[in-house]
Amino acid sequence: MAKQLPLEGVRVVDFTHIVAGPQCTRILADLGAQVIKVEHSQAMDVVRSAGGAGGGIQGEAEPYNRSGMFEYFNRNKLGINVNVLMPAGLDVIKKLISVSDIVIENFSSRVLERWGLSYEEQCEVKSDIIYASITGFGHIGRYRDYSTWGPTAQALSGLTYMSGLPGERPAGWGYSFLDHTAGYNAAIAILMALHHKNRTGEGQWLDLSQVESGMVLTGPAVLDYTTNGRPYRREGNPPGNRSNNPKVAPHNTYRCAGEDEIVDGKPRQRWCAISIFNEEEWERFCVAIGSPEWTKDLKFATNADRVKNEDELDKLIESWTSDKMPHEVMYRLQNAGVAAGAVQTNEDKIVRDPQLRSREFIQRIQHRSVDEIYETDSLPIKFSETESRIRQGSPPLGADADYILTEILGMTADEIADLSEQAAF
Amino acid sequence: MVFANNPQEQSLALGDMLVLDLTDEKGMYMGKMLADMGARVIVVEPPEGHPARAIGPFYQDDPNSNNSLLFWYNNTNKESVTIDITTTKGSELLKDLVKRADVVLESYKPGYLDSLGIGYEVLSSINPKLVMTSLTPFGQTGPYRDLNSSDLINMAMGGPMASSGYDHLSDAPPMRCDGWIGYATGCNFGVIGTMTAVLHRDWTGKGQWVDVSIHESLSCTTEAAMPNWFYDRKVPMRQTGRHHGLAPTPSSQFITADGKLINGFDIPPRSLDRWNRLVEWMDEKEMAEGLKDDKYRDLISQGVRQGPEMDFLRDKITEFIASQPAEEIYHGAQKIRLAWAVIRSPEENLEDEHFTDDRDFFARVEHSEHGKSFTYPGHPAIFSKTPWSIRRRAPLLGEDNDNIFKNMLGLTSEDIVILRESKVV
Repeated sequence: MAKQLPLEGVRVVDFTHIVAGPQCTRILADLGAQVIKVEHSQAMDVVRSAGGAGGGIQGEAEPYNRSGMFEYFNRNKLGINVNVLMPAGLDVIKKLISVSDIVIENFSSRVLERWGLSYEEQCEVKSDIIYASITGFGHIGRYRDYSTWGPTAQALSGLTYMSGLPGERPAGWGYSFLDHTAGYNAAIAILMALHHKNRTGEGQWLDLSQVESGMVLTGPAVLDYTTNGRPYRREGNPPGNRSNNPKVAPHNTYRCAGEDEIVDGKPRQRWCAISIFNEEEWERFCVAIGSPEWTKDLKFATNADRVKNEDELDKLIESWTSDKMPHEVMYRLQNAGVAAGAVQTNEDKIVRDPQLRSREFIQRIQHRSVDEIYETDSLPIKFSETESRIRQGSPPLGADADYILTEILGMTADEIADLSEQAAF
Repeated sequence: MVFANNPQEQSLALGDMLVLDLTDEKGMYMGKMLADMGARVIVVEPPEGHPARAIGPFYQDDPNSNNSLLFWYNNTNKESVTIDITTTKGSELLKDLVKRADVVLESYKPGYLDSLGIGYEVLSSINPKLVMTSLTPFGQTGPYRDLNSSDLINMAMGGPMASSGYDHLSDAPPMRCDGWIGYATGCNFGVIGTMTAVLHRDWTGKGQWVDVSIHESLSCTTEAAMPNWFYDRKVPMRQTGRHHGLAPTPSSQFITADGKLINGFDIPPRSLDRWNRLVEWMDEKEMAEGLKDDKYRDLISQGVRQGPEMDFLRDKITEFIASQPAEEIYHGAQKIRLAWAVIRSPEENLEDEHFTDDRDFFARVEHSEHGKSFTYPGHPAIFSKTPWSIRRRAPLLGEDNDNIFKNMLGLTSEDIVILRESKVV
């Protein structure tokens, strides 16, 4: 028998789009919440049109029902089109809010106010509503009207600066890490607010800033400045893939044998990461790589010596890794009890990672518009008594309107026809 | 109801929760998130100290066990009790605490607590309502469950690094962000799992075990990379400071007059209105020469993105950015709705009044042991009814032993002396 979904019975009115908001509501939906994604044919989630970014799904369906990015971030949700700019549409939304626990959106900071759906107005229809807003800067503060994408927020937060080789430009993050993380923080805040509501019956407004979602991850660097006066922006920072805290060596990524596939005119480069924190691990490492003569050199005898001669050490280690495939390096070292890990591509994770397969992290999902089953990754949490579950694919635009209007709002066919006439949808 | 007599209790979202935090450096951020929202969190650490106490940076560069800034940041609002849980008496003390606890957080190797006779099965038989969250590099099951790891190894295997790095340096490795971000991402899911289980317990009275894998947490935190394979069977390339891509995109980093970098987007702007306003702004600085030609307006309104004209516009904008200080470019661009940003080092946000004054992001935390207060990064969200707060600094090693042993476990001073002499506490 299927286990219980822990958030079964929790209903969410979801005005989110792109990644940060949908990431949050995907988590809630995976956990069993009924998430109602509200769009409109003239204002659909823009990732529906981003066919190139995240894959194109082939088939007969409308292009906006075939976006890979949309499919990836909106599973388990229901979809309805509502025109909130029409009074009849706003009325449908208010009816939905009146039977929901959570409202969430990641529009610019004045959009819901303009619709007549400020937090106070939401409270008028549902006094204990939990309202979560996600923007770059939050709804409070002088820059509330500034706009961000993931990389904008990452740049301001310090996280872009903290990724890169010393002496070079920052490498930053190759994607919108803070879209994910703002979504995670929103989910955490909502779950905490639900607990508070369980105890007190009180809802609240949760105002999330994507930049702050990054700033909370820079604590020790900021404290080094506020307590010691030492800025993170200084020579030698960021440390690349080396470890400054604790200061240990070897701790880096090492070039491995390349793949046959040609990228930019060269074989695709492959890499393996190795982290050694103490003398026992170092000794095991030396044995695992066959104890070449250089490992006995006194300049690598202790961690302090290895740190001092890190450049030379890294080159010598690379001379051992460079003719081996990254997973070969990883398994050889892991078998000796040394922390090593291939730098895995999306293909590695999906096709050749036995761990992700054995835990059923990669699952299968029937597409709702195209007669195909696709693989997808799932929630990285296993519960002993409840579960998260992929129940259905992402909603085609407006696909669940009938169910939502009749089953959830209890409307009759006549009432729905009436609303249609008033351009509610 | 631990804080039953505390008048503030109703405004602390998690004011009714008692959490035992047995995690090491991988999982301590989970307990911080709960403690900062009001849970009473007790760090149960070995008598020689939590491993993070030995990791810098350190206050005044003095590496004593109470000076780690990594520990300070991740243990705000927590209490500390020292117990050697590998001893029989120590594990009895832990069980006594578990009777009173709502949540146990731990990040030991899979099976380790079982081997001490204090695994989930034993603890839940003592307290069936217990929620226990285990955060580990690869999860409790599967062929990789016993592999060694580090933040770097998890960032390598989980996929963030394959997407992050350089395209303008031909032999540069994939990059990870400094600052324990891989572990923090696991912690975000650890708290999502914990709070979900707490809600399930609110509703059903049943506790459970939550198994969170850092590897999976990162494997679903790579934005388009996974959909790129699921739907297209393609591997994206790394690009300096900007999104991974299936095809190259233009550079997004621009040097400013004060030697900083701007993360720029949409250059030249696609919207004619923004283009006009950008030219106006450049004109104010006498740098719009040749740009007012209608030819460019036409090309932009036709959606042209490539060719010699666009290269010319990019060069002119690059020159303009290079002529001004970074903060001026950032605010000037945002005023015309371009989502550009300065690439800041984390401490540089201490001067941004949006965060300091308007959103009250940073917290002053009193360190009585040094007779000083220090500024800490603050909230992941603004909660309107249950504010995030730091009510006390991280605990000194064993700071709360007497209070917890006497007032919670009913031990006498003599009992404690004996425990101390036998090195149990």
